[in-house]
Amino acid sequence: MMFGRMLALGAPLAALGLLMAPWSETRAAPEVPLYTEGSAAQSPWERSIYGARWGDRDSSAFNTLDNTNASPELPPIGELRPVPAGIAGDPEKGKELAANRRKGGSCLACHVMGPAGNADLPGNVGPDLSEIGTFGHDDSYLYNYVYDPRVFNPETSMPPWGAHGILTEEEVVHIVAFMKTLTSPVEFSDPRDDPETRPVPVEDRDGQDPLVNPAIWTMETALDLYEEAGPTGKSCASCHSPAEEDFSTWAASMPVWEPRLDKVLGVEEFVYRHARATTGAEWLMQSEENLAMAMYLRFVANGTPIDVDTESEGAKAAIARAETLYHTKLGQLNFSCADCHEDSKGANKWVRGQWLGESRGQLPHFPVYRTSRSEIWDIRKRLQWCNVAIWADELAPDAKVYGDLELWLSSKNEGLPLNAPNIRH
Amino acid sequence: MAKRVKPRVKVPKSASAGEVVTIKTLISHPMESGQRKDKDGNLIPRRIINSFKCEFNGQPVFSCDIDPAISANPYFEFSARVGESGTFKFTWVDDDGTVYELEEPIAVN
Repeated sequence: MMFGRMLALGAPLAALGLLMAPWSETRAAPEVPLYTEGSAAQSPWERSIYGARWGDRDSSAFNTLDNTNASPELPPIGELRPVPAGIAGDPEKGKELAANRRKGGSCLACHVMGPAGNADLPGNVGPDLSEIGTFGHDDSYLYNYVYDPRVFNPETSMPPWGAHGILTEEEVVHIVAFMKTLTSPVEFSDPRDDPETRPVPVEDRDGQDPLVNPAIWTMETALDLYEEAGPTGKSCASCHSPAEEDFSTWAASMPVWEPRLDKVLGVEEFVYRHARATTGAEWLMQSEENLAMAMYLRFVANGTPIDVDTESEGAKAAIARAETLYHTKLGQLNFSCADCHEDSKGANKWVRGQWLGESRGQLPHFPVYRTSRSEIWDIRKRLQWCNVAIWADELAPDAKVYGDLELWLSSKNEGLPLNAPNIRH
Repeated sequence: MAKRVKPRVKVPKSASAGEVVTIKTLISHPMESGQRKDKDGNLIPRRIINSFKCEFNGQPVFSCDIDPAISANPYFEFSARVGESGTFKFTWVDDDGTVYELEEPIAVN
């Protein structure tokens, strides 16, 4: 190595600080070089990463993480809409709609509804409705509950299917007609179809075995990237010892509030901004090089308990913002993070065949190879996908609010050892 | 993900005489079938790993021809009875003529 392992990164800056001490404030710690201009991701951001199936939905009329006043206003409690006259409810059509995955994931995503949709993997976030036809609800109650349940309960997790334009008035009438035919408990032919007896998924693959996890193949390229000179002629190795030595715990302290950028920086954005400022390499977030380096920097810190700064003023404010966002309804489906990931709500239940996890316990295994998509997802991509899945426009991966959420998530995962990269379906 | 072709194997470091050991092999490879078209409608030329073999001290252990229906990153897991110390040799042949080889020793005690 031309430059050898000559100096700790901050040494020249620290020396400068001492020289300047008599006429300026000394700094507690030398500042790490960071490129503070522009976006750390593809700009302008495009959703191409999600492919055509998710690419063309326009959710701009609804709340996003950085615009929480877009969605239509909450209806007044008790203000019921009249059931449209002149439409005859057709239980058969209602049964099809209840199982139609293109209508916001279908009723069955959250409710057991008798044999509808062949009782194919219903979820249990909401109550079992197999006998709702015997509960004595009138048409107005059922109609309004599907059209916009917030007229009964403003805190409900259930989407306002009619008010947010996912189902038409006529479709709601058909679903009401179908519900009135539900009078007996469903009999599942297989216990795995019943969300109450379906086994909870256990991930027992070795996520760091290259014969198991293809993400390792990408991660291994980081060893070359570490030594590769960038446009300035320097490489990571020009200033740093091997990552196993210099970064044996670092990733567990990320993300961190960065005053120079007025935002929380995660490993991925840090890699872009620090490399750009030092070697000149442009490893944009979610690029192959950025993922490789971000995985490698976590991998060398594996086993280190997550321990992020939550005490600085900036960090406290970021966590407070995230706490509010966690409870804010987003997207056309009108879900908050809490609706799916809070134990008292959707967490530890099934939405269709997918198990909803809690906020604690998932972060340490990111970045993760997703076998369902043959892609490596960092935590920011996971958060973007959460947005798209609830029919909300996602933001660029370096958006300030994702940083807030990542720091908040890290505080929820405090003490859990890093275990990255990993593999999930 | 499979842009770089790289073979990998897992063989136990040691075994007792006559033991049946499990061998895992994987080569990261796009396995382009030759039947897909690009955005302009042109066929993407076939490029696959077309054969694989494993030998132990020169004796055949496992071999197979591979056809275009095999998916990317072909993975083979098989077992072998080992009676003596020696070396497993693995060979993958690419359509482009490249031959990828790996060797793994095993000590029998």
